[in-house]
Amino acid sequence: MLTAVTSPRTPAPSGDELLAQARTGSESAFAALVREHQAMVFGLAYHFLQSRAQAEELAQDVFLALHQNLSHVESARHLVFWLRRVTSNRCIDCVRSSQRRRELPIDGLCDPAVQPRFNDPLLGELLRTLVAELTPDARLVVTLRFQEDLDLSEIASVLDMPVNTVKSHLRRSMDALRRKLADRGHVYES
Amino acid sequence: MSLEHELRRALSRKDPPGGFDDRVVSKIRAGETARMPIVRSRWSRWSRASLPLAASLMLAFGGSYYMHKQQERAAREQRAQTEQAARNVVLALQIASEKISAAQAKVEEITRHDPTNPR
Repeated sequence: MLTAVTSPRTPAPSGDELLAQARTGSESAFAALVREHQAMVFGLAYHFLQSRAQAEELAQDVFLALHQNLSHVESARHLVFWLRRVTSNRCIDCVRSSQRRRELPIDGLCDPAVQPRFNDPLLGELLRTLVAELTPDARLVVTLRFQEDLDLSEIASVLDMPVNTVKSHLRRSMDALRRKLADRGHVYES
Repeated sequence: MSLEHELRRALSRKDPPGGFDDRVVSKIRAGETARMPIVRSRWSRWSRASLPLAASLMLAFGGSYYMHKQQERAAREQRAQTEQAARNVVLALQIASEKISAAQAKVEEITRHDPTNPR
């Protein structure tokens, strides 16, 4: 089974095949699934938490949960949905638990490398910083919209939220981002 | 460039540090090997807890059984003593009755041969 996954002579198995192999206990198939989806899971966690260490920990937890729930995942497509939903839920849980423990607010979770640096010439970093200042729900909506390129109904489905709420979060977030960017000299038309 | 385009660039997918998949698999292996001792330790914890409990129960049951048997034996002995006493009383009454009968017979015999007896 290991060779079926790693041998260069055989074509790479599809997501469904990898999933089926992982379900039978193939470690290499599961590792391949991790490699296939790690950028999505880690990216969502990182853009939400703004901390590489916390994002890695969260992403590892998500994949451990996946390993325990492989039997519930029906297909490769369902796997992507499952990973997005579980990652989003874990992100929200992370914020709630840090609020319960009266730790640093979400802005304080930032790595020193991504602390707000408003004179930073790199617009991307400024945007990530401004997104990190949004409320947790709005941050997830924006990240799913622009990282995963999901439409409103898909975001609503992942976050288990009414479409109108998603729409409202997105509109207000975009307005807030435009306003804050304009304060720093970056003007974008709505 | 539109803001949406800039956001897509800024919030693109991001790879975790190298060896992420290995770390996940190692954690899974560690979790699986750690689960087995948990089962054993749970069992040993149960057995450690259940041994004194079983010993206490055995002592309690054994003690009450012993007490019950002691009471039974005492009651049996008491009943035997009572029966023996009753038998002794009956024997004493029989002896006394025989003695009285013998004395009465003697008295009657003396009275029959007595010349002064008007009968």
